[in-house]
Amino acid sequence: MKCIRCGKEDSVHVVAKAPDGSGAWEIYKCDVCNYGWRSSEPAKMLDSSKWDPFFSLIGVDLNKLMIPCPIPPLREK
Amino acid sequence: MFKDLREFLAKLEEEGQLVYYNDEVMPEPEVRLISRAACDMGSGTAPAVIMNNIKGYKGQRLAVNVHGSWANHALMFGMPKTTSLKDQFFELNRRWDNYPNGKVEWVDGDKAPCHEVILDEGKFNLLELLPCYKVNEYDGGFYLSKASVVSKDPDDPDNFDKENVGTYRLQIQDASTLCMQGLAFHDIAIQLRKAEERNEPLPVAVCLGVDPVLTFMASTPIAYDQSEYKMAAALNGIPMVLTKTTDGKLDVPAGAEFVLEGEIVPRVRVPEGPFGEFPGSYSGTRRQVLIKVKRVTHRKDPIFENLYLGRPWSEIDTLLGLNTCVPMFKQITETMPEVVAVNALYQHGLTVIIAVNPRFGGYAKSVAFRAASTPHGISYVKNIILVDGDVDPFDLEKVMWAMSTRIRGPQDVFVIPGTPGMPLDPGSEPAGMGVKVIIDATTPVAPERQLRDVRMVCPMPEAKKYQDILTDLQKAANKK
Repeated sequence: MKCIRCGKEDSVHVVAKAPDGSGAWEIYKCDVCNYGWRSSEPAKMLDSSKWDPFFSLIGVDLNKLMIPCPIPPLREK
Repeated sequence: MFKDLREFLAKLEEEGQLVYYNDEVMPEPEVRLISRAACDMGSGTAPAVIMNNIKGYKGQRLAVNVHGSWANHALMFGMPKTTSLKDQFFELNRRWDNYPNGKVEWVDGDKAPCHEVILDEGKFNLLELLPCYKVNEYDGGFYLSKASVVSKDPDDPDNFDKENVGTYRLQIQDASTLCMQGLAFHDIAIQLRKAEERNEPLPVAVCLGVDPVLTFMASTPIAYDQSEYKMAAALNGIPMVLTKTTDGKLDVPAGAEFVLEGEIVPRVRVPEGPFGEFPGSYSGTRRQVLIKVKRVTHRKDPIFENLYLGRPWSEIDTLLGLNTCVPMFKQITETMPEVVAVNALYQHGLTVIIAVNPRFGGYAKSVAFRAASTPHGISYVKNIILVDGDVDPFDLEKVMWAMSTRIRGPQDVFVIPGTPGMPLDPGSEPAGMGVKVIIDATTPVAPERQLRDVRMVCPMPEAKKYQDILTDLQKAANKK
């Protein structure tokens, strides 16, 4: 399955199902960009061509995203 | 006042400030729309809402907008729900000084309601256990927007006062993983830095559905070595009842609906966001802190409490309102007792209105500099409006009157560029840099030149007793 947000192939798997056993929905997660979504969201949100392109991560280098809480140097022992 | 969320919800129900939405709703978009609608009912009297029929989560309960109005805010502190904002401010300011008397009590784990159900890793899935939903349409996932996150200082773990309780946004990644936004100036970032310097995990407890005053304190900018638990007890007037997490590492509210016990994985950052934030815009996708949840404890038939935030006015604006005003007022009046009141309600203090009796010419502008250099003000405070001490800064009609009739343009409006800014403010460019805008709408005092020689129409404090009479007459008229 392809990620709606970053476009990566085979990066998505099911991480939850409706707990009441109704089968009403599943939740998916992309292992690359960590986007999570539910199968029952409005149709617009399930079709990346209908997304506001501002939120797309296709072609974005995720390693270069800002780190608001920086990792400090290790303390010398 | 209220020992846990349930007691407070009962009070809200008694006062007509809680409604139940029983029809079936979709997690997206209906939960968001109902949460938004509750906020749009107005910050004065909007009710809390419990949804108990969310598709796929049958039998689970979600509470939103619990802090969503000034009426609920007053009830939280045991005041009548009609208490004015200014009166709430002064009462809170009075109770703030009770901090040294804030009492904490502990109960054994087996007696703590939050431990009624204990689920070890592999036995829970956060996305199924919590009736979660997309708070805003383009959020990067399913968020806990109202959690109280508990952690200790790794260099001083036995210092109770440094045990931090803070509200940070958390994205649920999967069954047992969370991402957390910790900004560099947050207290938890100080603790995380110390743990990561040693390459050690930082234990955390994510508490959901706690007593409403603790939620209020968890989102208050107080000193690093001030205890949120003690301060909540001081404001509440009853002891804060805590218990140890099941691993014994942290102190958590015994009456919490859910406690997620886990740890921040050291030296790891993963993609998180975007998230619709309090300035009314989405923050971008960033690399943020990763939390591994090892165990979940919860009450029987638990209530998941969450909060809508986004385009103001929303619940977060009410929650972050007076708890931003009072600390800033305390800090400014330490050296400037002429300050009468501080209204920092707007987007966590991005705009503040300060009422002051200037001692001499130019003094009000000095007050602005002080506000801009308080711990919270350094990054957050951007627009500072100064009004005379006889103008209620919480009454925007009066503030606009002051601005309309006092401001002399170039003498009273200043812009100081190149100051720190709040990164989530879209006006902060680059993110983290900002400006201070000072608008002095006070009446000039000597040796500054006076306004043209006019006489003000005096305030009439004697009219207050007639206002009370008219209010009673109107109440009686409404009952007919």
